[in-house]
This record gives sequence, structure tokens and C-alpha cells, in this order.
Amino acid sequence: MMPEILVAARPRGRACLAAMVGFGAFAIALFALPLLSVAENRLALGRPVFGAEVLGGNGALVLAAVLTGLIFLILELRRWAPFLAVAAFAFALLLFADALGQGAARSLGGLAPAARASLGGGAWLTLGLLGFALGLAIQRTRAMGVGLAVGIGLILAIGMLGHAGRFKALSLTVEYGARRDTLDTAILDHLVLSGAAVALALVVAILLSLWRRGQGFVAILVAGIQVVPAVALLGALVGVTAGLLRAAPTLREFGLSALGAVPAVVAIAAYRLLPLWRGLALALHAADPVTLEAAQALGFTRRQTLVGVRLPLGAPILVGALRVAAVQSLGLATLGALVGAGGLGRIVFDGMAQFAPDLILLGAIPVVALSLGAEMGLSRLESAARQRWHA
Amino acid sequence: MTASSRARLARHPALGLALTGLLLAALSHPVVATQIAASLGEPTRRSLDVWRLFALTSRHVILAGTGFALVAVLGIGLGILVTRRAAASWRPLVDALAAGAQAVPPVVVVALALPVLGFGGPPTLLALVAYGIMPVLRGTVGGIEGVAADIREAGTAIGLTRSQVLTRIELPLAAPAIVETLRTALVLAVATAAVGALAGAATLGTPIVAGLQNQNLAPMLQGAAATAALAFLSDAALLAIAGLWRATRR
Repeated sequence: MMPEILVAARPRGRACLAAMVGFGAFAIALFALPLLSVAENRLALGRPVFGAEVLGGNGALVLAAVLTGLIFLILELRRWAPFLAVAAFAFALLLFADALGQGAARSLGGLAPAARASLGGGAWLTLGLLGFALGLAIQRTRAMGVGLAVGIGLILAIGMLGHAGRFKALSLTVEYGARRDTLDTAILDHLVLSGAAVALALVVAILLSLWRRGQGFVAILVAGIQVVPAVALLGALVGVTAGLLRAAPTLREFGLSALGAVPAVVAIAAYRLLPLWRGLALALHAADPVTLEAAQALGFTRRQTLVGVRLPLGAPILVGALRVAAVQSLGLATLGALVGAGGLGRIVFDGMAQFAPDLILLGAIPVVALSLGAEMGLSRLESAARQRWHA
Repeated sequence: MTASSRARLARHPALGLALTGLLLAALSHPVVATQIAASLGEPTRRSLDVWRLFALTSRHVILAGTGFALVAVLGIGLGILVTRRAAASWRPLVDALAAGAQAVPPVVVVALALPVLGFGGPPTLLALVAYGIMPVLRGTVGGIEGVAADIREAGTAIGLTRSQVLTRIELPLAAPAIVETLRTALVLAVATAAVGALAGAATLGTPIVAGLQNQNLAPMLQGAAATAALAFLSDAALLAIAGLWRATRR
């Protein structure tokens, strides 16, 4: 009979195969696909530049780090093996990012100042694969807070590299440098837009759920709004607001205008009514009848029952509904730029109009980051609420 | 038709949706839309004629229909795959991917795909599939996992093979949940096809976007009403088909 440690150390065949496929994917992304695209200016078609030229010796180093990570990932040798895999992948990610920045600077050497080096398919694929592998390794550690710590650490490290000017040759950074103020305002606008929409939707959802008699009608109404496409709702709202302003021009003095933040906030809020209203109803009925009877027997008033029993028991459901509403609002707010509401959508639409990929990315990356941040943060809050009151 | 079946038809949820859809479709007619625009104080300008509206609608239907078919096949297929016992270890990964994909709104997918796939239909189709597949996958998985274990075991006990358990027990019992998520996906497909107008796809979103840019109210209202009508009508059609299918199986 084999000693137990050896049995545990022998990776399963399928895991071995998966790791080999993964390694092959990394090798293709790094060396067979263009990592950069170098063009004479930001709108011209670029010349693909491959890994061997961009990364130089660092390419082999990145690949070696990836291989180490993969081996630690499939070896279920010790509890700390996944932690080493996390470290290897994080190192590979930072090394790759830095090498990309330096490679871009090298490939721009001797070209006119307007020349741009933007990230190519290989670079995006490598970054995606590294993120995927890192996520897998973090999940394997089965430890609390590793993901958060690694995320913060990576953001800080990338920020420091950026601050030291290691990425300044990349087109995305150039674009960012040119529009830093616009981007900051856009992010703020975006947050205000979606925050206002969620707040408005929450208030309306509470009012709607207070209207006991009309719940059947409310159900049809909020589900019906959900069917109307967002672009159509925005268009209709702008039309109606324009008509309203013509009929009663004094409304203009209150800051209402047909184009701008108001129709966008109303449209986003209208869409978020369904999850919030449904979440409220479910949350208020989360307490089982026995608990409610016990509360009554203890002499709780209706208000005390609501605050002391129903709300705490329904809190996780409510936070869950808020999470869905917040994530979707952040996405929908992008469309707000269509009616002149500003936000990150403006940068995205500018980029589409100019056919400038890096400008689109400059707007799109914060949208995705904000949505993911809201998703992660609020789902953490959701499980915290569940543990606090449902332990 | 007996009185009771007529009463059942009148209470069918698809009826209300279909009526709303027809009402909205009437609103998109050039004469009606011009009247509304005029009553809102808009000076009369050129509206879309019926033929142009038809052409845009058929393009919209083709784009949204293709996307929806892809989403349904891929979403349900993947949902069946990840609920097989051999794939149990992939579940957390699929759930994480599902959450991640939902964080990228369709507009952003369209925008990001634009430099790679060019203007028109392809980026819209990609956005449609990327955003729609995950809800369907989740719904399918939820439906199949909702089947009680003892029913499944009873199937195995009477000698059904694994694929028979799937087609005769799991899928029929999960069908209501799957139909629900397909409804969501269909409405999403119609909405995303409208967003595709931003990438230059000729759909019912085109008059809305153009109307917003030129401050021309009538075509904007026409496009909005027609898009909404299409969403309501297709939702009603899906509900009706699902109802008929259930009735024939009973």
C-alpha cells in the first residue's frame, strides 16, 4: 500500500490534461497572437507586433511563472500549494504588464510622437487567462479574504508601476492622460446617475408595496415596464418631457429639461422597480408565521414587529434585490449618454463615433469595474446579513 | 368552444401582453405618431412611412431571432451539461462566469466588439449572445436542480437510463422554469437588437437614435412604440406556444 502522502500528491489524469491545455493556451496567447498593434496615429490601422519582439527574455519568464502556478494548482500536495499558485500567477501578471509597457516603449522608438501602441488580441487573451487562473487558484485556497487581499495588492502594484511611468507608451495610458479630468467627472456623473436611479426606484417601490389593494395592478405594471426595451423607454420619455415642457414652460425654472439627467434617471429607475418591489414583498414575508405569532405573544406592536422581526429576517433578501438593482443600474446608466445625461457612456459613444478603440476602452473599463465592484461588495454584505441574522 | 375554455382563454396572461403589443403597434403608425407629436407641440416633420417601418421591423426580428435561437440552444445545452454529475466540479466556475458576464452591459459589449467586428449586425449579435446566455443557463440549472432527488431515483429504479432520466423526468419537470428564463432572454434579445442601432445595425432602434440626435420626435416615438410592441408581441407568442405545447403533452 502506498503512503498516503504519495497518493495525495499524484495529480489526477484529467487535471493534468486540463493543465496542459491551459499551458498551451498561454503559449499561444503570448507568442502566436499579436500582443501589440503599432500605428502611425490613433486612428490608423496598426502593424501587429508579436510576443518574441515585445517581451524579449521576459516572455520565457512569464511562461515559466505560469507553468509553476499550474503545477502547484494540480498538485494537491499540501494545503499551501494553492497559495503558491496564487503567488506565481500574480507574479506572472505583474511581470507581463510591466513587460508589455516596456515593449510598447521599445516598439515606438524612432517613430513620430503621434504613433500609438495599443494592446492586441494576444495581450487581452493573456490577461484574461491570467485572471481566470488566478481566480481558480484563489478559489482552491478555500481561505477567507484571499481574493480581496490579492485584488487590492494587484491594484496597488499596477498603480505604482503606472505612477512610475512604466505604461506611458501604451495608447490607453496616452488616452487617459489626455482625458483624465473628463474621466473623473464621467465616473462621478455615472455614480450619481445610477445612485439617484436606485434611490428613486427604492422610494417608488416602497410606496407601491404600501398600496395593498392594488398589488395585482402593480404586478402587471412593473412587469410590463420590464418588457419595454431601454432605448425605446428613453426615447418615449424624452418625447413626453419635451411635450410637457411646451405645455408648461414654467417647469424649466425647476431645472427640468427634455434632454439630460432627468429622463435617464427616470428610465433607469423604472427598470429597477421590478427587482426592488419583488424583493421588498419577499423580504417582508420572509419571517415564518410561528415567529410572527411569537412576536405577537410577546406583546410586540405592529411597528415593533416590522423593525424587530420582519426587517432583520428579510434583510438578506432586501440586500440581494439592491445588489441586482445597483449592478444593472450601473450598466444602464451607460445608455444615459444617449439622452445627454453624461456619465461614462459619453466616453464610450465618443469612442464609437471616432472609431477609436482605446477611447471606447477608457469608458468601458470603469463601467465594468464599477459593476463588478458593486456586485462583489453587495454580495459580501448580503452574506454578512445572512450570517448575522440567520446563524 | 365551451364556455369554460373561453373563460380560460380570456384569463390567459398572453392575451393582455398581445393586446398591449397591438396597441403599441398602432401607436407606431405614421398617422397616429404624427398626431401625437403634433399634440405634444412638435412641428410636423417627416415621419417613417409604413414600408420603411416594416423593413426595419423585419431586420430587427431576424437579428433578435438569430440571437435568441443561439442563446436558447447554447444556454439550455450548457445548463444540461453542468448539471451532469461529471461536471459538478465546474459549477463554481460557471457561477462566477455568469456573475461576471452580467456585469458587462450590452452597450459595452457592442462598443468593445465594434473595433474587432466592424459596424452592423455582428457586434450586436455578440452582445446578444454574451448577455443572454447566462440567465438561460442559470434558469436551466435552477430548474433541473429543483427536481426532487427521490423522483430522479424512482426513475433510475424503474430502469431508465441516464439520458432517459434527463428527457423524461428532469426536462419536463424543469420546463416551466426554462420557459420563464426564455421569456427573459427573448425580451432581452429584442432590447439588445435596438441597442445595436448604436453600432450601425439597421433595426427599430435606428429611428430612435436618429430622432434623439436630430430632435425629430415623430420617428423617435414610432421607433420606441414599434420596439416595445415587438417585445410585448414576442413575449405573448412565446407564452402562447408554451401553453399550447403543455396542453398537447397532457
